[in-house]
Amino acid sequence: MTRKQKRLSVIGGGLFVLAVAAALVLFALQQKIAFFRMPSDIQTSDVESESRFRLGGLVEKGSVVRGDGTRISFSVTDHVKSVPVTYDGILPDLFREDQGVVVEGKFTPGGAFVADSVLAKHDENYMPKEVADSLKAKGVWQGGSKQ
Amino acid sequence: MVFWISAAVLTVVATLLVLLPLTRRVQAPVSDNQYDVEVYRDQLRELDADEKRGLIDPVSSEQARAEIGRRLLKSAKAVEDDKAIVRPTKSATREWLTLATVLAIPLISWGIYTKLGSPDLPAQPLAERLAKPADQSTPAELIARAEAHLALNPDDGQGWEVLAPIYLRMGRPGDAVAAYQNTIRLNGDSAGRQLGLGQALTAETGGKITARAEEAFKRAMTLDPKDMRPQFYIIDGWMQQGRLPEARDLIRKLLAEAPADVPWRDQAQAALTRLDHEIAGDAPDVSDVEKTGPDASQVEAAAGMNNQDRAAMIEGMVANLAEKLKQSPDDIEGWERLVRSYVVLNRPNDALEALGRARKVLSADKLARLDAVANELGLADEPDQPENN
Amino acid sequence: MTVELGHFALVLALALSIIQAVLPVLGARRNDDRMMAVAVPASFTVFALIALSFAALTSAHVLSDFSVQNVFENSHSQKPLLYKFTGVWGNHEGSMLLWVLILSFFTALVAFFGNNLPPTLKANVLGVQAWIGSAFLLFIVGTSNPFARLNPAPIEGQDLNPILQDIGLAIHPPMLYLGYVGFSVCFSFAVAALIDGRIDAAWARWVRPWTLTAWIFLTGGIAMGSYWAYYELGWGGWWFWDPVENASFMPWLAGTALLHSALVMEKRSALKIWTVLLAILTFSLSLLGTFLVRSGVLTSVHTFATDPGRGLFILAILVLFIGGSLALFAWRAQTLAPGGLFQPISREGALVFNNLFLTTAAATVLIGTLYPLLLESLTGEKISVGAPFFNLTFGPLMIPLLAAVPFGPLLAWKRGDILAVAQRLMTAFFVALLVVAFVLYKTSASGVLAAFGIGLAVWLMLGAVTDLSLKAGIGKTSLRGMAQRITGLPRSVFGTAFAHFGLGITLLGIVATTTFATESVLVMKPGDGIRAGGYTLRFDRVDAVKGSNYTEDQGKFTILNDEGQPVTDLVSAKRFFPVRKMQTTEAGIKTFMFSQLYVSLGDAAKDGGIVVRIWWKPLVTLIWLGGVVMMIGGGMSLLDRRLRIGAPAKSKLGKPRPARAIS
Repeated sequence: MTRKQKRLSVIGGGLFVLAVAAALVLFALQQKIAFFRMPSDIQTSDVESESRFRLGGLVEKGSVVRGDGTRISFSVTDHVKSVPVTYDGILPDLFREDQGVVVEGKFTPGGAFVADSVLAKHDENYMPKEVADSLKAKGVWQGGSKQ
Repeated sequence: MVFWISAAVLTVVATLLVLLPLTRRVQAPVSDNQYDVEVYRDQLRELDADEKRGLIDPVSSEQARAEIGRRLLKSAKAVEDDKAIVRPTKSATREWLTLATVLAIPLISWGIYTKLGSPDLPAQPLAERLAKPADQSTPAELIARAEAHLALNPDDGQGWEVLAPIYLRMGRPGDAVAAYQNTIRLNGDSAGRQLGLGQALTAETGGKITARAEEAFKRAMTLDPKDMRPQFYIIDGWMQQGRLPEARDLIRKLLAEAPADVPWRDQAQAALTRLDHEIAGDAPDVSDVEKTGPDASQVEAAAGMNNQDRAAMIEGMVANLAEKLKQSPDDIEGWERLVRSYVVLNRPNDALEALGRARKVLSADKLARLDAVANELGLADEPDQPENN
Repeated sequence: MTVELGHFALVLALALSIIQAVLPVLGARRNDDRMMAVAVPASFTVFALIALSFAALTSAHVLSDFSVQNVFENSHSQKPLLYKFTGVWGNHEGSMLLWVLILSFFTALVAFFGNNLPPTLKANVLGVQAWIGSAFLLFIVGTSNPFARLNPAPIEGQDLNPILQDIGLAIHPPMLYLGYVGFSVCFSFAVAALIDGRIDAAWARWVRPWTLTAWIFLTGGIAMGSYWAYYELGWGGWWFWDPVENASFMPWLAGTALLHSALVMEKRSALKIWTVLLAILTFSLSLLGTFLVRSGVLTSVHTFATDPGRGLFILAILVLFIGGSLALFAWRAQTLAPGGLFQPISREGALVFNNLFLTTAAATVLIGTLYPLLLESLTGEKISVGAPFFNLTFGPLMIPLLAAVPFGPLLAWKRGDILAVAQRLMTAFFVALLVVAFVLYKTSASGVLAAFGIGLAVWLMLGAVTDLSLKAGIGKTSLRGMAQRITGLPRSVFGTAFAHFGLGITLLGIVATTTFATESVLVMKPGDGIRAGGYTLRFDRVDAVKGSNYTEDQGKFTILNDEGQPVTDLVSAKRFFPVRKMQTTEAGIKTFMFSQLYVSLGDAAKDGGIVVRIWWKPLVTLIWLGGVVMMIGGGMSLLDRRLRIGAPAKSKLGKPRPARAIS
């Protein structure tokens, strides 16, 4: 191989790796991301799709029902609509009624939500950013700034 | 004073440290390339060491030596060329910059500090504040001192006894609960302590009477059956839980046992009538009102806020209402409340605008009612017209 | 007075930084030695002033001076003394002060050890450090002043977020900052080279120890942060691909690449331009990390104070420094002379391979972290990119890189012989293959991924061992000769072997934990037992305990072995902090060899039991142990004599003085 060919082969190899990485990233961005929704944003196409969703809102007051063992069901609401959620596992420390929450999982065909993870945050003042923005936009919740 | 002197000393020292090199001649400056020469010599030594240890084969070693040697020669030549560089010893620019530096350091630091700092505010370590004589202390400091004392002597029953109701009055229900529990543990049970515990627990949940609180009230009732307060709380709790018949029975019992002239008779009678209705199922539907208005806990929260927070909360509720009316506009009470709120908040333009919106959506009879309200608020003086202000 | 003096010292440090940012750089352009000489005393003074300021804030925290707003918001008189200390940087303002303290510390170190640096380079480097310092000091003074006062002073503080009251958290942010900020030195060197239009021979020798130092701290910080999240959050996970974790991981990846490319540059004067770019990128990613954490633009489990105004300020700093340095790079990079040539198959080639994969991996992490932000600002669609994305993109990129690692150190510089190297690695390869077969046999085909993952880990570890034993001359000399050769080896050879061995250890831990961990969530009543990882866990009772500023429900468990004999006890608790009305989980963790039993408590179930989550995490501690071994490797490299350079003696030009240590 001449020096030029060598250099070309090295550059070609590098570009190949980059191309593979780019393809992986594009594929993963199509398949592996979760869409964020508030209860009132949910479309019928969401419920029918196989995609993963993050559902954010407040835990509706009085909706928390503990089932057998570790099963639990509650509703996530944005005060416009609410979505029933079932979850099997340990809830985070800051899970409380009327507090912000984000659950991740999939919809059942009936429009209910099966969560495989429930996120609540470190700080009691904390409201997940998406939830805070959306709730503010809907006028349900104000504030959130640190005193 | 001490502070200003220290600050001045700091400034002078800092300025001098920076000025010193500006005014001193640098001994025989060395060319940058000389440092390169040094590095290449080091590399050659390392190469020898590596070769000795057998970490590198003789062929590569020779190649590397040639490569480093070439660089070394080049740098050595550059050192010679560098001797031609003129290094200014006297420079007008530098003198100007020196002057600017001397001025800039104190100007920037003192300028910013006097804007941001609070030079006259002394440090206030907690221990010092608590050591002050009692008559010079604020109530908050006295409480803190008591807390510090109790943290060290958690078994001082008298201390908890005194502190518990203070906490409750100060709106620190969580601490009040702990204090009442401690005084009960150390000083024994009494009706007053159990009542306080129940009240603290109730305040903690914002008015909701939990099973724990109910238990405390029941203890208080057994310990002092004459005191009506625990029983009222129990009734309230039952009503919250929807145990209406039980609540009704207890009120009846209380009314029957009490003398005719007790001050709470009318109120209890009214509650009884309402309960009778509700049990019969013909109660006026109050839930609708509750849904839109602030509930008890919100009001309580508002009372505990500072003015700014309260204003924010009120603004929030008004915005909430306005939003709601956009979605379900056929709500005369809502429009009335919105218009009133705007007037109270001193936002007449918004009030007029809301009135205008209501006119577009409300039927004539409802509109008449709203206009009456507007008249009463003095809004109708300005007719509804396109904004020209 | 202490507090105000601290405040004044901070402002004075800002004034001095501005001088340091201007004079030396100007002096370097004008060949004015006196102006360049300002940099050194200014660096020391700025460091002393910021240290004074930090000490003042610390004393206010320790003495519970609630007239300082920062103390009032983040401390409490009854908080344990240790957490009064750590509370200083457990909040936004204090942590930014720590950031500049570390920055000024590194600047002072460069000034102190800089005798063997060419004067122009030194002046420029210290000047650029002061640019960064001035920007961040301005940020602190302008938007996050820790010395804001309250009058009248409240009598009690609002407590530190209880989840932050933890010894792991007390040490890991400073470690991370030492890493982040350490890369600033590399950045300053890169920018200084671009300003001056030349790269001195000493450049790479200087950049490498700083990269190593920063890299060691960053490795430690990431490992500790991961362990902290593991035991404190009670979720049993050790890595969440959380934006804040990514924020520290991206500079680590880029820094690792820099470490390797600086090696090529030092040895062969090749890859100069690339190394300069990488140094800029690494620190840019560190700045981006600071921005992501401090501005709250991303939703994260770690965010504890968010403020858009501050975010905007940091964004401005970010744009200024990243944009500015990249523009400077585009403008000046051609002026740097190209270096030595090499064949694709060579040590240099292997290091280029390493750089290619590491930077590509860093880029995928960057995309995954920023894509949601981008998409939201463009279309309003809110998405989250989590572990599945990174597993699919980052994972495949790591496999060829890890497989290639053992080849690198064995290849010769300039022109390597890959077949000869493959031959030398035969033994390691066959052992790794045997391990794969063994795991496959044990797990019966279900564990294909696990088998190959573990095989890869073994390959990495044995590769490192092979490298060392070959360099010791195994099979060539007697045992005694080998011992002699091994003691004579440069420490950086050990450094490489240790770091690569540590990588293998971490990989082994990751693969074993992700593929063989068992998890059970169930309701337990006193007396109930459950099997986990060869042991039986028996739930005994729940005790209520009162701590210093919290109360906790302690779940008591007994661990029994196969014969039913108690081995040890385990306590898992839920803590309640009344001042903040917050609950935290204190997971119960017991270590058996390298594996761990992890128990976390949930809520009480309605039938009187309590929800318990139990994980058996095989070899999980290896994840962090590998990090420690990597750090040791880094330390060994740092101590290598080769990284010491002599300075030309000032009196007699040309005669070398004895070598001086720079680290």
